[in-house]
Amino acid sequence: MLKMNHLSKVYRTHLIETHALRDFSIHVREGEFVAVTGPSGSGKTTFLNIAGLLEEFTGGEFLLDGIDVRGMNDDARSRLRNEKIGFIFQGFNLIPDLNLFDNVDVPLRYRGFNAAERKRRIEESLARVGLSARVKHFPSELSGGQQQRVAIARALAGSPKILLADEPTGNLDTQMARGVMQLLEDLHAEGATIIMVTHDPELAARAQRNVHVIDGQVVDIQSEPRMRGLGVVQSAVAVG
Amino acid sequence: MEIRPILSALMRSKVSLVLIGLQIALTLAIVCNSLFIISERAALMQRPSGINEADTFTVSSIGFGEGFDDARTFAEDLAMMRSLPGVVDATTINAIPMSNGGWSEGLSLTQEQKTSTAPTAIYFVDDHGLNTLGAQLIAGRDFRPDEVSERNRTTQGWPAGVIMSRALGEKLWPGQAALGKQVYLDTEKPPVTIIGVVDRLQSPWPHSKRLAEFSILVPQQLVGDGRMRYLVRTAPGQRDALMKQIEAKLGEINHSRIVREARSIERIRGEGYSQDRAMMIILTIVIAALLIITALGIVGMASFWVTQRTKQIGTRRALGATRGMILRYFLTENFVITTLGLAIGAAMAYGFNVWLIQNYEAARLPWYYVPAGCVALWILGQLAVLGPARRASRVPPAMATRSV
Ligand SMILES: Nc1ncnc2c1ncn2[C@@H]1O[C@H](COP(=O)(O)OP(=O)(O)O)[C@@H](O)[C@H]1O
Ligand SMILES: [Mg+2]
Repeated sequence: MLKMNHLSKVYRTHLIETHALRDFSIHVREGEFVAVTGPSGSGKTTFLNIAGLLEEFTGGEFLLDGIDVRGMNDDARSRLRNEKIGFIFQGFNLIPDLNLFDNVDVPLRYRGFNAAERKRRIEESLARVGLSARVKHFPSELSGGQQQRVAIARALAGSPKILLADEPTGNLDTQMARGVMQLLEDLHAEGATIIMVTHDPELAARAQRNVHVIDGQVVDIQSEPRMRGLGVVQSAVAVG
Repeated sequence: MEIRPILSALMRSKVSLVLIGLQIALTLAIVCNSLFIISERAALMQRPSGINEADTFTVSSIGFGEGFDDARTFAEDLAMMRSLPGVVDATTINAIPMSNGGWSEGLSLTQEQKTSTAPTAIYFVDDHGLNTLGAQLIAGRDFRPDEVSERNRTTQGWPAGVIMSRALGEKLWPGQAALGKQVYLDTEKPPVTIIGVVDRLQSPWPHSKRLAEFSILVPQQLVGDGRMRYLVRTAPGQRDALMKQIEAKLGEINHSRIVREARSIERIRGEGYSQDRAMMIILTIVIAALLIITALGIVGMASFWVTQRTKQIGTRRALGATRGMILRYFLTENFVITTLGLAIGAAMAYGFNVWLIQNYEAARLPWYYVPAGCVALWILGQLAVLGPARRASRVPPAMATRSV
């Protein structure tokens, strides 16, 4: 589903070069739920942005759903992103001036679906996250947990191949975080492929597989037993 | 395409929408009416006077002293002027077209009627009048020398034959030839007969709705008050030199008078329409200022919105919008705002016109002004928003995850 081989990403400003990712290799299969952990500044968001075609990479290879995305132009990347990726952001990123219906509608319009198809998808995905009754509400009228569920509905509506979530519970209190996590787990159980960045070990432990990133490199816990002793992600081993 | 969600999003920022919408509305209303006023004034100024303007000038003098002889002075002055090389012809005249000063009378078709049928300007000229003016005779004949008489303060009645402008003839006798017809300048005296018709001859009052084009040439010289006025036509290119020369010579011929500065008809036209020109300049400045202010308002508002919505734009890109879609979003948004403003502005434009009609005798705004104004403002709006919209389209998709 998602395959990166020896990928590197360098941010260049006129003063400094930051090697955000180096020799970064990962293979996420269809239906997997992967939690990405790591210290702040280690490159997690950079990885997710490249995975979601928000940013280009400097070197290496990246296949998304079997498509080599290297050298693709901006329009093609946008279309691919629209079709294959569902994004869930830490800050929800709902459009404040649009009601829930119109918010979920945004990526569907970019897709070019007709009105009936869009309506069906919007209603289905809002029902899936349990917010059917609120279609006419505006984001500011909802709790944080509800807003994130709308964002998940928006990510789901286009039937993407993969869901990418960057600290999806980072702005939520524990109870709401549990609700959102439960929703992601349910989606996974229904067959969704999910990559989630989190700094919460408890949440990471609930994922099927853990990937630890340090200094722009993947440290796969299962294949790297020495990491255990460091106690960085103690609970991450559980899943097979 | 995206008009409905754009519209509903706009409805959530009503204050900005109302402000920019009203600005566009006012601009449309004022620009349409101003342009119409400008075009009306331009049309007024472009009307031909019917006379040769390029080579003609007028000069006048006031005699003083007990024994000042008007008739003799006329004869001497005219003989002098007509003999000068470069002078085509010269005539006595009492008023100049477009000069805003002259003599007018009412014309009646019957002796019994209480109110006149039409007003007219009166030009007193001699048998050289028609030729000096350069007016085009389209029917009948010019005055003969023996038809020219003297008119003083006590003279009653009018000469038997006059020459009339075509517009006046059509007013008096619609659909009929004016030549040979009779009309009363004074209902207690015999009528005058139309012996000639000129194509056009503007009155001294170009702004008069009633008699701008209504004129009569009367073969008389005004004597007895020591005032003389001449109209002189020169060969092309010699007018300015002859103006100075004649001004000086008139003083030399007769010392008991003051010669007034000679003035070209072009200058008189310029002065006659100076208010119109000032009005056109002011309105042009108003239009330009309004368009610039509106464009800047749109640029400012759009720039602000782009900056304010940077993260939202990034999110839209992350959700799959191409650069073109973001660009189109802002162009469409501007189109929606402009259209709302124009809808109000169209009503205001017609309302403003009605107000001008009621208070300033303005004419009805032709239907195509408002649609044309709308198209112009649509284009202006799209051009104004293009810069900010392009900036928006360059917001990187990573803005969705990178910015807080
Ligand atoms: N646009 C950028 N320009 C320069 N450096 C960047 C940019 N984005 C991220 N970085 C740097 O890349 C490294 C990885 O950042 P990031 O992927 O955001 O880390 P994480 O999400 O794990 O906290 C950091 O050192 C960060 O400062
Ligand atoms: Mg991060």
